[in-house]
Amino acid sequence: MSMDGMHGTAIGSSPFLISSKKLTMWLFIVADAATFGALLFGYGYLRYGSPDWTKPFHFSPNVINALIMTVVLLTSSLTMLGGVAAAREGKRGATLKWLGATVLLGIVFATLHLREWSGMFHDGWSLSANPMHGSVLVGALFFSITGLHLLHVISGVIAISVIAIGFQTGRLTAGHVETTGLYWHFVDLVWMFVFPLVYLLNVN
Amino acid sequence: MTTTNTGTEPTMKVYVGVWLGMIAIVAIEAVLVRAHVSSGMLLASLLVLAFLEAAVALRYFMHLKYEVPLLFWTLIPGLLLAFIMMNQFWADAARMTTLRFPAP
Repeated sequence: MSMDGMHGTAIGSSPFLISSKKLTMWLFIVADAATFGALLFGYGYLRYGSPDWTKPFHFSPNVINALIMTVVLLTSSLTMLGGVAAAREGKRGATLKWLGATVLLGIVFATLHLREWSGMFHDGWSLSANPMHGSVLVGALFFSITGLHLLHVISGVIAISVIAIGFQTGRLTAGHVETTGLYWHFVDLVWMFVFPLVYLLNVN
Repeated sequence: MTTTNTGTEPTMKVYVGVWLGMIAIVAIEAVLVRAHVSSGMLLASLLVLAFLEAAVALRYFMHLKYEVPLLFWTLIPGLLLAFIMMNQFWADAARMTTLRFPAP
């Protein structure tokens, strides 16, 4: 029996009825969800165990800014779905427009986030400093959790840009667009926990 | 190309409806903060709303509703079990407050 034949037998019918790259993305997402889950649980333990915890945010401007970021990210998931649908129908121009809108919204989110960070650094916050003279863990946890999420957003913006160009030139398929979309929705999903737990529970 | 495997493909109209629902959940979260409810109640409410929002995102945006059920059963219960197991460490978090050295 040839090796090709063996491979054909081994991977011929997936019980999940999805492509291997989509399954791989799902496995990555589960692993990454466990990472974010551990980080958020760690935040919970340390906050619970810190009697000198301080709440750094005010409804305006901090929560208002975070609300705008949330709406921007949710909307980017909608444009990503538009991109996947257009890619499935083989509409290259429409796919590029939807993915371009997603990238733009991702950049807006990252810009708003960095502007917020800049303001906090200016006020004296850092990974190891608390200008409110409470636990230094407040800044450490805030910048770690939001920083890891921001890294995912920036990675997603780069990935979507690469996929959009690849799909436009015909090198990549609608399956690639869909798999990247899965990642982008996951980034959105993580923010659904970061926003209430890290921002809303820390409103002074 | 990867295709969805069960049920019919949702339209953009469905997605926009889901998106509006998620925006509504975010608005409720913001209102809860302004309502000055107790911190325990606020935490419980925000967690319920976040899980609800995540479930909607998983089912519709990430298409889990339209995949074969085996994919859901393979991925999600194990992840939830891991999160449940993480609750084992709360007792240590509470113990931290009594382990501190007294201030000089």
